[in-house]
Amino acid sequence: MFNLIRRDVILQKRQLLIFLPVILFFIIIDKHPAWTFLIASIFIPFNTYAYDEKVETNILLNSLPYTRTEIIASRYLGAIVYMLLAIGVTSLALFAFNKPFTMIDIAIGSSLFLLFAAFTFPLFYILKPGHITMVVMISFFLLAAIGPAIVLFLAEHLTAITDFIVNLSVPVLYTGATLVIMVVYVISWVTTTVIYQRKAF
Amino acid sequence: MENVVELKNVTKKFKGFSVKNIDLQVKQGFVTGFIGANGAGKSTTIKMMMNLLKPDAGEVKLFGLDYKTHEKAIKERIGFVYDGNIFFEGLNLKDIKRIVAPAYKQWDDTLFYQYVEQFKLPLNKAIKTFSKGMQMKASLAIALSHHAELIIMDEPTAGLDPIFRRELLDLLQELMIEGNRTIFFSTHITTDLNRIADYIAFMQNGELVFNQSIHDVAENYALVKGGLNLLDSDTEKAFVHVHRASTGFEALTDNIKAVKNTFGDTVVFERASLEDIMYYLKGGIHHV
Repeated sequence: MFNLIRRDVILQKRQLLIFLPVILFFIIIDKHPAWTFLIASIFIPFNTYAYDEKVETNILLNSLPYTRTEIIASRYLGAIVYMLLAIGVTSLALFAFNKPFTMIDIAIGSSLFLLFAAFTFPLFYILKPGHITMVVMISFFLLAAIGPAIVLFLAEHLTAITDFIVNLSVPVLYTGATLVIMVVYVISWVTTTVIYQRKAF
Repeated sequence: MENVVELKNVTKKFKGFSVKNIDLQVKQGFVTGFIGANGAGKSTTIKMMMNLLKPDAGEVKLFGLDYKTHEKAIKERIGFVYDGNIFFEGLNLKDIKRIVAPAYKQWDDTLFYQYVEQFKLPLNKAIKTFSKGMQMKASLAIALSHHAELIIMDEPTAGLDPIFRRELLDLLQELMIEGNRTIFFSTHITTDLNRIADYIAFMQNGELVFNQSIHDVAENYALVKGGLNLLDSDTEKAFVHVHRASTGFEALTDNIKAVKNTFGDTVVFERASLEDIMYYLKGGIHHV
């Protein structure tokens, strides 16, 4: 299984060369650190999917001594592993450029990443291969552009929920958010596994 | 004699196409050639052997084990070669090896580099720059480097030039010297098989027509030639399919004895090649 996760790096040797410049770019243009953490986390896992949506890749992986459960597990665990690595690298870069950031930035960035992964990973196995990566990346930037506005709009209009969240104590809010994200991520994982088990190549 | 692959009553339905009631045994230590026209169901059957497809009904067992409980153990013992390139196109052979090798407990790096040298494969060039023949050699080098007991190949000779096809067949023959290896490969170039196959499995329209030793095939089938006046609805029954021409008929029989009884010396018998058998069976007029 570790081999399946390590595969991503071998596959993306060249893409990794642009990983650092991209992060540096976001740091230099002074994007919010949470945003930089999010972009950095997305880089490797979603790049891998650009390969994995191809039928040939699935034929190869499934002909090797791996089970389908393992192949999917490597995706979900790999996403977390690469997210942590990306956070490490990004933190160092931010530190080197003397840009302040907090644990909350990391928490927001990684939460958004995990949620985004949870909602999009199953799509790679439901939709027809070909343009999934494009669709996902475009929807990501759309969400990033109009997402905050939607959240603000909802916060203003669904005052009951807003009040409820605002009234939570900080520890409860954090624990709750962590739990929700974990549950969503696990549900996504199980769903994808079930879908993948039934696929024919 | 042990069966390495065992398909029992396997059925798989698709829209407008199905593979029906396949009973197929692949014997250990032999080369089985899997023949049939394009679209006969060969690839579907191979995919079920590899667990890329799950049958709707029936049982698939490899090495006596089933995929539900022993998927990894089974695949550990198989080397596979597919028709098209399934490796990441942009990667070079060295990187592909780095991805594939750790998947196998028995991976043998020395053996791999030995094949790389034997096949004259470049390690640092992207796979997509390889010719069809080189891609095949690369797949083969990878398939052979983990001491697989069973080698499954889907159309390995398709699109290869005659010289390399022969090299490939020679290589497969060499592999067979090593004890209890089993090779199962599909092809529609039947001349490949006369050289190396011990058994022939023949599929047509989603059904397995026969799975016999190459000697049995030669003994059971024959081409019969004679004058048109010999044919009537009764005598025709001894043939699988009859081809009529103004100069006489040519027919395939799977019952040489009956034909001899009916026609005696009035007809000429010729050895039926695999291609003849495929061609006449495709004619489709099944007797009985």
